[in-house]
Amino acid sequence: MNIDIKHIAKLSRLRIEDDKIEKFEKDMQSIVNMVEQMPDIDDTLTLDVNNPMKLREDVEVTDKYTREQLMKNAPQVQAGCLVVPKIVD
Amino acid sequence: MELYEKSAFELSEMLKAKECSAAEITDSVFGRIGKTEASVEAYVTVCEESAREQAKKVDEMIAEGKQLHPLAGIPIGIKDNISTKGILTTCSSKMLYNYVPPFNATVMNKVNGAEMVVTGKLNMDEFAMGSSTETSYFKKTKNPHDLTRIPGGSSGGSAAAVASGEAIVALGSDTGGSIRQPSAYCGVVGLKPTYGSVSRFGLVAFASSLDQIGPVGRTVKDVAMLQSLICGHDRMDATSKDIAYPDYAANLKNDVKGLKIGIPDEYFGEGIDAEVKDAVMAAVKLLEKNGAEVKKISLPSTAYALNSYYIISSAEASSNLARFDGVRYGYRTENYDSLIDMYEKTRSEGFGDEVKRRIMLGTFVLSSGFYDAYYKKAKLMQKKISAEFSEAFADVDVIATPTVPSGAFKIGENMGDPLKMYATDICTVTINIAGLPAISVPCGKTANGMPIGMQLIGGHFREQTLLDTANAYETLVGGFGSIPKIV
Amino acid sequence: MDYEIVVGLEVHAELNTRSKIYCDCKNAFGLEVNTQVCPICMGMPGTLPTLNEKVVEYAIKMGHALGCTINNVCKQDRKNYFYPDLPKAYQISQAEVPLCQNGKLEVMLDDGTMKTIGVTRIHIEEDAGKLLHDDSFSGSLVDLNRCGVPLIEIVSEPDMRSSAEAKAYLETIKSILQYINISDCKMQEGSIRCDVNVSVRPKGSDKFGTRCEMKNVNSFSAAVRGIEYEAKRQIEILENGGTVTQETRRWDDVKGMSISMRSKEDAQDYRYFPEPDLLTIVVDENKVKELKDSLPELPNEKLKRYVQTMGLSRVDASLIVENLDRAALMDACVEIGKGSPKSIAKWILADISKYMNDTGKSILDTPLTAARLCDLVAEIEKGTISNSAGKTVFEAIIAEDKEVAEIIAEKGLSQNSDTSALEAIAKEVLAANEKSINDYKNGKTNALGYLVGQCMKASKGKANPGLMKEIVTRLVNE
Repeated sequence: MNIDIKHIAKLSRLRIEDDKIEKFEKDMQSIVNMVEQMPDIDDTLTLDVNNPMKLREDVEVTDKYTREQLMKNAPQVQAGCLVVPKIVD
Repeated sequence: MELYEKSAFELSEMLKAKECSAAEITDSVFGRIGKTEASVEAYVTVCEESAREQAKKVDEMIAEGKQLHPLAGIPIGIKDNISTKGILTTCSSKMLYNYVPPFNATVMNKVNGAEMVVTGKLNMDEFAMGSSTETSYFKKTKNPHDLTRIPGGSSGGSAAAVASGEAIVALGSDTGGSIRQPSAYCGVVGLKPTYGSVSRFGLVAFASSLDQIGPVGRTVKDVAMLQSLICGHDRMDATSKDIAYPDYAANLKNDVKGLKIGIPDEYFGEGIDAEVKDAVMAAVKLLEKNGAEVKKISLPSTAYALNSYYIISSAEASSNLARFDGVRYGYRTENYDSLIDMYEKTRSEGFGDEVKRRIMLGTFVLSSGFYDAYYKKAKLMQKKISAEFSEAFADVDVIATPTVPSGAFKIGENMGDPLKMYATDICTVTINIAGLPAISVPCGKTANGMPIGMQLIGGHFREQTLLDTANAYETLVGGFGSIPKIV
Repeated sequence: MDYEIVVGLEVHAELNTRSKIYCDCKNAFGLEVNTQVCPICMGMPGTLPTLNEKVVEYAIKMGHALGCTINNVCKQDRKNYFYPDLPKAYQISQAEVPLCQNGKLEVMLDDGTMKTIGVTRIHIEEDAGKLLHDDSFSGSLVDLNRCGVPLIEIVSEPDMRSSAEAKAYLETIKSILQYINISDCKMQEGSIRCDVNVSVRPKGSDKFGTRCEMKNVNSFSAAVRGIEYEAKRQIEILENGGTVTQETRRWDDVKGMSISMRSKEDAQDYRYFPEPDLLTIVVDENKVKELKDSLPELPNEKLKRYVQTMGLSRVDASLIVENLDRAALMDACVEIGKGSPKSIAKWILADISKYMNDTGKSILDTPLTAARLCDLVAEIEKGTISNSAGKTVFEAIIAEDKEVAEIIAEKGLSQNSDTSALEAIAKEVLAANEKSINDYKNGKTNALGYLVGQCMKASKGKANPGLMKEIVTRLVNE
């Protein structure tokens, strides 16, 4: 199995420097090789009905946080909004 | 004996008897931090001022005759991936170098509610990915037993702080061994609770289906006390189990009569150092001599646990870590000319290589065309491993294995080879894969004086059995020894 | 060559729950930017989702309304992609096993015929935030208030063959959402949005052509325009010997055209996998049944009943059905069984609707009960009062909150339908107007109207005008 590091990096929104690609390729390849040693298992995945999820009651809570509290960590804020580079559709 | 050398239980009794004050305990711990932190480097953030204020508050409450939790006034260190309101929570990553959560993790509400004294935030492998705390962006924590060696990881700061007396107890997190493995390397007690018994709300996720917060201490009783505090159902965490949880510390026994201990061959094979096998078997023998029944068992799929673990954990991590994009919090690159450019630069500069490797592995195994061959296969293996454990627990009460194959290695020794690093998790990942509880207790030392850990594994929600067994062992060996001299 | 258009629709409807789908933030529209958020819907590190039970219930209700199989055991999955309006960089949705699947919807087309459209699936998921573009500023702004607003996505089979069928489907879906009260359906607020899949094929072919998906379709009329544009575009390509490429296109309703966004090769790899932060959704089977039993008569069924068994026109029937208050009044009247449904419908659509529009009131806020409307229509049909007197009665009901009989009596509105009495009046009037009779007989047909008018006047307006005209006509021709 060959791994297209550049494609995977793009999907992951990562940029791998050219001089590191080879090392990443080698490391990933050895991990994948290890993983591929796993035998095939003749079974199917089923949903666990014995451990059902408890759902949340539909009640709204307001004024838990101020906008300032929540935006305090943001690198760039303008007019109460988060700022990202201009998006051209 | 200095106060920082005492256990949480002893200090709690002293506080109750007014033999010391919370301020004095805190003073002692910060005195120790002042002496050894420069060489151990367990903390990312030290919270001395707020800790002293909290200790003062506890002393006032004691003076007022208020009924307090047994852990009130006890200094605790917190792994830096547990959200602390108003206190930096970095996950030891450049990506979150400046992130201050506006909310507390559920476990922090419990810690604060018990009036414990938070000493600071502890170093870890970046985003809990690693087995040596060497992938931290900020510093390399040292093993208090030998400063040239790693403390283990990812909760290396938690284990090292407790082992060195820089904290009385600590909280860590365990995704594939991250509490037990450093606890073994540092000669302390660490419990990885059953998946679903401690709320994950506020724990920065690595692999959601495997992560679990747990306690680290120098005695089994301390670990039991802290576990009793942090466990319980939380409506903020849908995966948290809504059952009644016992008070482990209050119920703690030290009797192993009739206890059935399973010994799986697969954990004593190739790759495990002979001195480690011998130490663990000696510990098992001691328990047997005191009334436990020892049985050979088999967990045949153990060999594939690591494979399954790396697929599942990396897949979840690739998704969990996608939110770090420089928009709402944390690091953002300085120069960029488009959204994608900003994303890619921010993430490439903000994450270290190990994190990138796991994100990419996870992205790969989930990507179109590979899902069935990798992720689905790993989930099927997980199912098989869980079934094997269920079968084993029909016959035995606990399973004893080594926690790690060897003593702590030298700093830098395994950094170049991910597979060699991953192999140190070989005994611990299986337990996360099966969602079981397991505890690591010290059981002797290697020839070069490094601690060895024995792992005791229990059935789902059978923490009491584990703690009782570990407590019995601790009593039989007359305690786990004193804090190492750090020079 | 003749072509056939093939359309499939994906409708996203925001649910009107009180709180968001995975956190307890208020689910509301139009509030100040980034004020309806919390660490959970902002995707802060360490936060976890908890699923709102009403979202599951609402989706199951819709599933029942569209005749779906309900998967009462299912799970949620993560759909991974990077975009600034998606804080976690994944949307919690449902992939393999949706909550509801394999349904069908019967819709009435403009000509009154019925058409059945398959419903592939309905799943639950979270909405994303909004990007605000401001030309005066060098970046884009992100408002996260809409993050975590609950959505259901309803996916149809490619069963529609024209833009008109697509429109009928969309309107029926909207009407059902309103009937079962799970969505506000405010198009201008974007609470219903759709993606449109269009392909064309030679008429008679049983193979589908290559489809294009159109995004950003924000109204039903835009969907109609988009489908027509897209079909025309594809037919032109085929006519010129080209081939249609599978791609995602963006509909620009202002320019009236679609623009290519990305081709199949660049298709996003969403890397779906089961959401590990949530456990299996298991809905008790009794609960599933209970939700089914709680459904009212659905608008498409009602429409069919109005047209096929009550004889209303397609237009009148849908005008009543589309408004819950009107439909409720109509059904209550039909239940009482007095007055013909057609007349009742006319009253509802004319005078009553006009009054509601003028005053902005709801029917429920006035003293006009179904019983009174039935009485009113029955009295007119019996001839007790005239149509114009009926209007007076209607106004009086609303103004004075009295029974129809009471009003007729008080205002003396009943008309005389006693033939012998009317004949007596007519004879008297005709005797005094011999000139007009002669004019009539000499061909001045207007004269008849004058005579009837004089008779009505003599009856002080109480005579049944139809009957009076009949009598006068007979008498002058004798």
